[in-house]
Amino acid sequence: MKSRLYAGVATLALISGGAMAQDLIVEPGTDGFNWESFEEFAAAHDFSGETLTITGPWTGEDGRMVNNVMAYFEEATGASVEYSGSDSFEQDIVIAIQAGSAPNLAVFPQPGLAADMAARGALAPLGEETAEWMIENYAAGQSWVDLGTFPNPDGEEEMFGFFYKVDVKSLVWYSPDNFFDMGYEIPESMEELLELSQMIVDDGGTPWCIGLGSGAATGWPATDWVEDIMLRLHEPELYDQWITNELPFNSPEVVEAIETYGTFVRSEGWAAGGPEASATTDFRDSPAGLFQFPPDCYMHKQASFIPTFFPDGSEYGVDYDFFYFPSFDERDLGDPVMGAGTQFAITNDSPAARGLIEFFKTPIAHEVWMAQSGFLTPHEGVNLDTFSSDAFRAMNEILLDATVFRFDASDVMPGEIGAGAFWTGMVDFTTQGDAQAVADAIQARWDAMR
Amino acid sequence: MDNIAGQNQGNRVLVNITMLVLVLLWLLPSIGLFVSSFRDRDQIANSGWWMSPFTVDLNFRARSSSDDMVEQNGIFVIEGNVFTDPSVAGRFPDGEGTIGAFGPTARDLDAFAPGETAEMPRGGTLTVEADGSYRIEHDEPFARGPAIFFQALTPPAFTLDNYRTVLFADGMDRAFINTLTVAIPATIIPILIAAFAAYALAWMDFPGRGLLIAAVVGLLVVPLQLALVPLLNLHTSIGIGQSFLGIWLAHTGFGLPLAVYLLRNYMVGLPRDIIEGAKVDGATDFQIFVRIILPLSFPALASFAIFQFLWTWNDLLVAKVFLPSGSASQVMTVKIADDLLGSRGGDWGILATAAFVSIAVPLVVFFTMQRYLVRGLLAGSVK
Repeated sequence: MKSRLYAGVATLALISGGAMAQDLIVEPGTDGFNWESFEEFAAAHDFSGETLTITGPWTGEDGRMVNNVMAYFEEATGASVEYSGSDSFEQDIVIAIQAGSAPNLAVFPQPGLAADMAARGALAPLGEETAEWMIENYAAGQSWVDLGTFPNPDGEEEMFGFFYKVDVKSLVWYSPDNFFDMGYEIPESMEELLELSQMIVDDGGTPWCIGLGSGAATGWPATDWVEDIMLRLHEPELYDQWITNELPFNSPEVVEAIETYGTFVRSEGWAAGGPEASATTDFRDSPAGLFQFPPDCYMHKQASFIPTFFPDGSEYGVDYDFFYFPSFDERDLGDPVMGAGTQFAITNDSPAARGLIEFFKTPIAHEVWMAQSGFLTPHEGVNLDTFSSDAFRAMNEILLDATVFRFDASDVMPGEIGAGAFWTGMVDFTTQGDAQAVADAIQARWDAMR
Repeated sequence: MDNIAGQNQGNRVLVNITMLVLVLLWLLPSIGLFVSSFRDRDQIANSGWWMSPFTVDLNFRARSSSDDMVEQNGIFVIEGNVFTDPSVAGRFPDGEGTIGAFGPTARDLDAFAPGETAEMPRGGTLTVEADGSYRIEHDEPFARGPAIFFQALTPPAFTLDNYRTVLFADGMDRAFINTLTVAIPATIIPILIAAFAAYALAWMDFPGRGLLIAAVVGLLVVPLQLALVPLLNLHTSIGIGQSFLGIWLAHTGFGLPLAVYLLRNYMVGLPRDIIEGAKVDGATDFQIFVRIILPLSFPALASFAIFQFLWTWNDLLVAKVFLPSGSASQVMTVKIADDLLGSRGGDWGILATAAFVSIAVPLVVFFTMQRYLVRGLLAGSVK
């Protein structure tokens, strides 16, 4: 009996040992990938025997993909990387930092949270050199640097966050079959999109599937709508002022954006199930309407990650496709793109942690994830052929072609607004429809914070 | 008399019916969860679990392939069977079914009865027979095989895939052992300490005893979330850090107030005569505790053990804070929430299955110790 137990333990140790050693998913030397950058990096860095701990918000499949990328860092430097993803990363990292058990690096999905940590002195600055590198090598580099730059405890601005992995949010998903059957065309401007929506209603269909439900974060999909519309109604400068509250939340410009979102969700027959159903439908279940026969709706606006929740076996270009959420022709504001992204910040300084940031400057660190799934990058030195699917290549082109790029405003606003009042306010607006009252209430919360 | 008896019987029926309704109402979420655990994500998204046992008319789409296209007398023909399409294979595993209606577009999906011929929007005609075989004709070659939409009677389908995913996920065995590693010591340690403390508080006279009891009762209302960060801070500074030892201590601390309170109230109700008799016979406090109090308190000990075990088994928060975040020390709850559900969650089938898998061990513990629980729940309430 005892020996059997030991055998069990030994097997277990073997299994877990096997899980540790990562295979390289792309054989070094494979065509199209930038192996020179990999070898150069490997020659310049050696962290044998060092362990690097990272925590982040990627779990499950995403967690396995980031581990696949880290395998190349391990291969190049001899360090061992322990990545652990958490469903409640935002809370966990604060506890870990307060208790003094912070990992080497943390992956922040919200700049607001990273800024809080920087102000507490929990993050190590990345230095001038990295900022300059990013300005030169990332598309719209300065805006990425700005998004990763926060005041340190002394109030001086320094760059703390290195953006790696970006999502594009200004996308509308649809089923090409359904569009073809009904003879609908891809709208090139917001005016056409509004016309198309009305046309679908007149044909007896429902144009939009909107779902705001997301557990404790219910309401965030609506904030994306308002932000995207804000960028299409007004200059990006106003958008920036809105984030810092220089432009009050209840100013006519913001209320106009909220009301335009109201046109989509509250117009009679525009949103599947009506506004009440939109407010409660889970955002993960919401796109299912596109794939019903006959379809519950024809269009769904959501970020680049949403195909994960499409029915199993759905194929890009056949079962679903997307177009850019268009801008108003008459406003002449160019083609703005709203997105989000994750940034790496050093929470516990070590040479290996610095080394990982250096690793992210190499094209290969990006290409390895591009070859998997769900990864977009503003890095200009990567080979776009390494994308695993045309869908991601097309999305990355939207990102690189943007005349204006702005980060998801609710992620940059102070947490109490961007991850609180704005979310709940949007749910209230969706069900009740009084934009001015909702905007006033959010501004009152903002005033109360000072 | 008859009247009254009849009334009683009526009452009893009413009571029974009410009870039945209440029990059903109470069980409904669990039943739904259980049924959902046998359905895949698409099924959960498309229909309610209460519809799952019935044969229903469902809508499907099959795609013909231009690879099957042949030229016959100048017209281009694609033939095949909709039920062999891979996208519907999940619901028609043996490739057979009965067509209720069909159509060339999603909007007129039930416009044509089997055997009829429909005009297609891109030109050409489509005929689908009741057994699912179809024939598409057109005088121009097809660039892409047209889609065929149809309605078919669909038998109920259940799958064990969710259970396969949860039970055989990489590292699930490790997580199971980790959970036991956390839960068993975190149940035994507080019972040991609390039993001693409860005896002292119940039967030993010392100054400040009343205040001490009041303090323990007071601690019952302190939420543990308050203590997370300071406690972890302490652990880090004395070198325990994030470890199994740390989480045992944390669970012990969080469990002790209730344990001491429960056991003390039980012990205080034991007959004084026995204890005094033992004292007269020259027994020390330790002897009284081991020989008399412990055996007599077994129901209370057992019921507290069940409480504490269930709570540590199901715990997610304390495990996330006090254990290192690597996969080597993940407990089952963390494994399920962080690994199986993925970055954005939403896989309800997996969630439902995980709930039933992780319920299994506590259920066994509960049923084996249940008879003590019933007695123990009354602990301290009556003399």
